[in-house]
Amino acid sequence: MSSTSLTLAPAPRSAAAEQVREEVREFLAAELAAGSFTTHVDTWLSGVDPAFSKKLGDRGWLGMTWPEKYGGHERTAMERYAVTEELLAAGAPVAGHWIADRQSGPNLLTYGTERQRAEILPRIAAGECFFVIGMSEPDSGSDLASIRTRATRNADGDWVVNGAKVWTSNAHHSHYAIVLVRSSPADPANRHAGLSQLLVDLSLPGITVNPIRILDGGHHFNEVVFDDVVVPGDMLLGEEGNGWHQVTAELAFERSGPERFLSTYPLVAEFARRAEASGDPAQLATLGRLSARLLALRQMSLRIAAALDRGELPTIAAALVKDVGTTFEGDVIDEVRRVVEVPASLDSPDPLGRALAEAQLHEPGYTLRGGTNEILRGIVARGLGLR
Amino acid sequence: MSDQDLVVETVRDILAGHEPFVLTAERSWDDGLWADLAAAGLTGVGLPEDAGGSGGELADAIAVVATLAAGAGAVPVAEQLLVAGPALVEAGVEHTSFDEPVTIALADAVTAEASDDGDGPGRFTLTGTATDVPWAGVAPRIAVLTRAPAGLDGALLALVDASGLETTTAANLAGEPRGSLVLDGVPATGAVLTPAQTERLRARYALARAVQLSAALQQVLSWTLQYAGERVQFGRPLAKFQAIQMELAEMAGEVTAVAALVDAAVQAADRGENEVLAAAAAKVRAGAAVEVVARLAHQVHGAIGFTQEYRLHHLTRRLWSWRDEAGSELHWSRVLGAGVLAGGAGNLWPALTRVV
Repeated sequence: MSSTSLTLAPAPRSAAAEQVREEVREFLAAELAAGSFTTHVDTWLSGVDPAFSKKLGDRGWLGMTWPEKYGGHERTAMERYAVTEELLAAGAPVAGHWIADRQSGPNLLTYGTERQRAEILPRIAAGECFFVIGMSEPDSGSDLASIRTRATRNADGDWVVNGAKVWTSNAHHSHYAIVLVRSSPADPANRHAGLSQLLVDLSLPGITVNPIRILDGGHHFNEVVFDDVVVPGDMLLGEEGNGWHQVTAELAFERSGPERFLSTYPLVAEFARRAEASGDPAQLATLGRLSARLLALRQMSLRIAAALDRGELPTIAAALVKDVGTTFEGDVIDEVRRVVEVPASLDSPDPLGRALAEAQLHEPGYTLRGGTNEILRGIVARGLGLR
Repeated sequence: MSDQDLVVETVRDILAGHEPFVLTAERSWDDGLWADLAAAGLTGVGLPEDAGGSGGELADAIAVVATLAAGAGAVPVAEQLLVAGPALVEAGVEHTSFDEPVTIALADAVTAEASDDGDGPGRFTLTGTATDVPWAGVAPRIAVLTRAPAGLDGALLALVDASGLETTTAANLAGEPRGSLVLDGVPATGAVLTPAQTERLRARYALARAVQLSAALQQVLSWTLQYAGERVQFGRPLAKFQAIQMELAEMAGEVTAVAALVDAAVQAADRGENEVLAAAAAKVRAGAAVEVVARLAHQVHGAIGFTQEYRLHHLTRRLWSWRDEAGSELHWSRVLGAGVLAGGAGNLWPALTRVV
């Protein structure tokens, strides 16, 4: 059920969520102590570590809400929320499995065939199978319905795909893409018609993955080019022509989680160390202001998790959280630099200087990825009855 | 329907007969509105019946306060129902009824001495000036939080008869009375609060303002949506312009964030868990939203919103004041910042997840 409500009911407290939260905290403390990872900003984009993903899978922290017969653990969205939030707060390397666990799995669960689910979902839940999002294209960003990647049926009933997808995070580490394609010619009267989603094995012949470096030089984004790629006919995801509807539902998952306000939390944590050491009232006040904003975002995001547990898909509330949350992520940088004298540099001997640099160089992405804030505000405006 | 819907409806019905007006030194509160609320028992909601209240839960009192805030009701109800009333009841300070306003004064500059004036135990003499007293000159009784008498920790909460006291006529940005009271050896009944009780009282006051801010922010958004839908320029309603839609969506984001945190802080207060930090966070977050929401509301309304004849200022002027009352935004930001660091910076995250 898609919900058009801006305001959601308060989330009930969940003892199960608090328990798993403690378990994750203990796990993360042990991993940090063992040096298995170091904390960084925005690790759900940049921190790919298949061994770490596997450990999460082993502990039952991936595919948490899915049915057991697909390798899931039949836990609540509130429990999953607690796990993801703890991982993000620790700046743990979660990018490998993030997309698969967050949105591709749920998409398969809703629209996949029995065979697709049985083959793929258990591997995602084990932390062994990573996905990329095949939506944006070189000429199609916010205007997603204008995509030109084509899929046509050949004589064998397979799909032949041609086109290119961009900003595909970690395609070079991933196994599958869910690719939005135009499966029938564009209809000017109904721009959303004729789109379909295909489940594409990234090892198929004809697929080229070209790196696109982001501002800090990091290789996370790619251009994925499809040149007469033959995708088996049974790898259609959902219904032919229903791609727009499916993608919209997928985006609600993409937009609703705590990664939409915690990307720069490791910077807040590093700043807190500075504020504690200095006792500077201005720094304490800044920490207080940032905390208040973060706590409000948590409440909003928890309400979304609770709504998911009620079987709702709160599309508009999710857009709203992402707008407010990603704005916060960027504001953290300037709030901090106004009260601390520390140059931002990836080479800084000061961990706060490094965190500032990481946060700054990733900043333009926060309010773009998963739908620009302008697009999100348009969705909110629709929810307010203005469109 | 929530349990509070009936309360909200009752308050709205009463408000319907009392339009907000421009507050002046001559007419600084809405005594007619107060009389109607008192007659309906709404000035005692959430306070126990055996202590002169009307009974009900904290959620009921919150509903009354929020509805009056959204309606720009110029009455000391937030102070009475959420701060002074519960504090007096909890401290066991003798009082009569809640039909006449009792307000709160945070008076750190006032000193108290125990006295034996023959009126029984718990008698004190108060000396000093209480500043920024909400509804000074309006409320005949004031719950004054002073420094504790020498040798005691915490603070003294004393109920002062304000009728004969010298009062200045200062007002906040909305014209709500915020004058000073000169206490020159004033006798009063009171009780000593522990430091923890004192902190809770201050936090409850901040929470009261946060509840008012949240309700007023929602109302301002709603007025702005309505105006943008009705006002036609270039042949179409303002609401159809993308630039305006972006602004309205931004306002909605702020309003929703505030409501979520204020609701959570109210629940924390109800449970008696982390009440101080939760209230601090709610107050700071609500205050931070004022800049965005009031600015954009005025921007969308254009020049008419900049006049006294149009209703918008009844709430925006209150928003600009309330965010720095009951402890400034800066004060509560520091309290929250220091509070989440109390267990060490290495435990910041667990501390944050415990606040609400």
